[in-house]
Amino acid sequence: MAVDYVHQFALLVLLNLNRKVTKIQKILVVDPEKCTGCRLCELVCSAFHEKAFSPIKSRIHIIKWDEKAVDVPMVCQHCSKPVCVDICPTNALYKDAKNGIVVVDETRCIGCKVCVLSCPFGAISWDTEHGKILKCDLCDGEPQCVKICKFDALKYVKADKVTLLRKREGAKKLSELVSLIVGEGFYARG
Amino acid sequence: MYKGGYKGKILRVNLSKNEIKIEPLSKELVRNYIGGSGFAAKILYDEVGPEIDPLSPDNELILATGPLTGTLWPTTGRIMFASKSPLTEIGGESHVGGFLGPELKFAGYDMIIVKGKAKSPVYLYIEDDIVELRDAKHLWGSDTHETTKIIQEENGDPEIQVAAIGPAGENLVLYACIIINLARAAGRTGMGAVMGSKNLKAIAVRGTGTVEVADFEKFMELAEEAHERIDKNPQAREMTKYGTPLLVAYKQEIGELPTRNHQTGVFNEWEKLSAETLRENYWVKTRACFGCSIACKKAFKVTEGPYAGTFSEGPEYEGLYAFGTNCGNPDFGSILKANLLCNKYGIDIISAGATIAFMMELYEKGIISREDVEGLNFTWGNHELIVELLPKIAHREGIGNLLAEGTYRIAKKIGKNAEKYAIQVKKLEMSGQDGRTHRSIALGHATAARGADHLRSLITVDQLGYEEIAKQRFGEDKLPEICNPYTEKYKAYATKITEDVYAIRDALIVCWYSCAWPPIFWIEDFAQILPIATGIKEFGSIEELYKIGERQVTLKRAFNVREGIRRKDDTLPERFLKEPMPEGPGRGQVVNLDVMLDEYYELRGWNKETGIPTKEKLKELGLNFVINDFEKRGIL
Repeated sequence: MAVDYVHQFALLVLLNLNRKVTKIQKILVVDPEKCTGCRLCELVCSAFHEKAFSPIKSRIHIIKWDEKAVDVPMVCQHCSKPVCVDICPTNALYKDAKNGIVVVDETRCIGCKVCVLSCPFGAISWDTEHGKILKCDLCDGEPQCVKICKFDALKYVKADKVTLLRKREGAKKLSELVSLIVGEGFYARG
Repeated sequence: MYKGGYKGKILRVNLSKNEIKIEPLSKELVRNYIGGSGFAAKILYDEVGPEIDPLSPDNELILATGPLTGTLWPTTGRIMFASKSPLTEIGGESHVGGFLGPELKFAGYDMIIVKGKAKSPVYLYIEDDIVELRDAKHLWGSDTHETTKIIQEENGDPEIQVAAIGPAGENLVLYACIIINLARAAGRTGMGAVMGSKNLKAIAVRGTGTVEVADFEKFMELAEEAHERIDKNPQAREMTKYGTPLLVAYKQEIGELPTRNHQTGVFNEWEKLSAETLRENYWVKTRACFGCSIACKKAFKVTEGPYAGTFSEGPEYEGLYAFGTNCGNPDFGSILKANLLCNKYGIDIISAGATIAFMMELYEKGIISREDVEGLNFTWGNHELIVELLPKIAHREGIGNLLAEGTYRIAKKIGKNAEKYAIQVKKLEMSGQDGRTHRSIALGHATAARGADHLRSLITVDQLGYEEIAKQRFGEDKLPEICNPYTEKYKAYATKITEDVYAIRDALIVCWYSCAWPPIFWIEDFAQILPIATGIKEFGSIEELYKIGERQVTLKRAFNVREGIRRKDDTLPERFLKEPMPEGPGRGQVVNLDVMLDEYYELRGWNKETGIPTKEKLKELGLNFVINDFEKRGIL
């Protein structure tokens, strides 16, 4: 047994040494300003993965501060340097080379919960009922939370688009000022 | 036991005996009443008779959810509170959104029934299977915000959902409310005073379980479709942007924006309180209740003037009416402040606003003078006074002790014909509608089970130009009269249908803002989703649902009849019956109530002279236990 663990650990180190930084294609982007805190994402997430309505089993959670009207969706960021992958003693967590998603291999998971404790976002939770870890798997490329969110608080977009979209959002004020002078600009009829 | 929708468990709490029991949810109750308000109506009828004083330990406080609570169906994050009301002394109930209802289901319970009175302040703590009464001496005197925070902190879990009363509930202000998520109120009929009378400071719930439905795949398909329908509905999207303050402009346009204690339906400074103004100047954040894709809640912040720095969720249209137009007050900062204070102290905004407006009119008419009211200045629009009065009401301090009794009792005490200006029905202060310029709500206010209520039958589509929907709901032959707010014609018919459908809505429980306004869902949608959620085939019949709805309305009526309510009580303040609307598009309009009442009783199968449900009708609805009870008491 003990030998196996040493072996596994060695393998883990090797893997990490040889790890190429995979380029993630699409990422889940959250926008707390647009989040209404309705928790529909939690409902559909638990429904999709567990076939029941149970927010505790959701892979995404809305963290709220009612007194400040703040709602922040918290979910796996599929980090480029995932702590959970580095720390997992059995390599049950790994970064899928083709799409960069942090995936759990349930057959390898021993339920030590080190990933649960180490994730800086609290994005991995422990399912006490079935004794397994729960984390976002992006629903085979079609995140259900994004589909149900009517407020664009959750988006599933190409990673390189994100920063430019953020820049555009930031520049919007200036554009609005300009429209006071030019109206709709070239789109205007007539 | 149940295929889906229900958890099958009722929590019975006896505070006097410090006893907590779990009993099964009976199949008969489910089959005949569906859930929510229906459950509560049956339990109240069976267990709270006319001999029980609303503020005595024998009164019960019921919290009920419905089969859809906690599921993906839109707007089902609701829970309802019911009890005999200390304000109206008849059946009282109040519904609320937020996150408590689903949490109770996830904890494994459909309902809580609280009876008795604790020796000293306690709060009920529920965490799945753990159910305990905990000491709340340290919370007594705290406002609802502090109470919520302390309970979450001392249990080390910010996800705990709390229903709390503030000082108003503790001090038995007759219209004290219960606050959830700091800003969602089970507002009406004094449910907070019932909690206070039981020494029950709060109910705290954390649930980590599951709500299942009978046919999961089909349910998902329909629920996702339902969310799409909301997403594509232009009014729903307007609600997302502006919330219920939208109604300020709509109502001003049709002359139904109650102003200065309902003297008129036109408020000249309405633009200062319009949704556009609020969005532009004060809006900070849009929020939603559990599982809702409408998101009508708005957080506002005031940055200038005497109320600078005030930040709160709300007000709704009813708050803008209650502390705004109806008090002749166009100052939004003061309304937001008053709204926040009501949430903290646990005071019903509508009754508080109406009580202050009533006093302002008494002052205007010379019925009270400054000496009578501690030298305070009850002039229309005095917003400093409104803000100053709320803590006094909550603590029953000085003049606040009188105001805490509501318009009906104040009028009795003052005499001098003051009751003429008490805008209430069955002792419940009227909400922000006016029957003169919206005839169907005149009948609704007069007949609703909990008094001058806008949520049990308010039709909306007959008033806001939804001709197509009026056609679908009431039949093509009812047009054009049905959409003419100034005629009594067909209004009893539409009120009856709407009331029965809303009874189902309140049993599921889904939000008012999904079938009333904007009018997206209706009884056929409920008949479609209910059997899929619950596995109970009979709920798939529209006819059966109408019958269950009618059963609930009639049972609530029977409860009130047993308390002495008769046709004479189904009336309106003199203002609506005799004073023509003085200005605006509805100028000259008054309500001809008796015509609608006759028709309504006939449609309901209630005796036209007395307003008591007939034996035949009670039998038809399977309410034989009411017949027995009525015969025993000599009512029938």
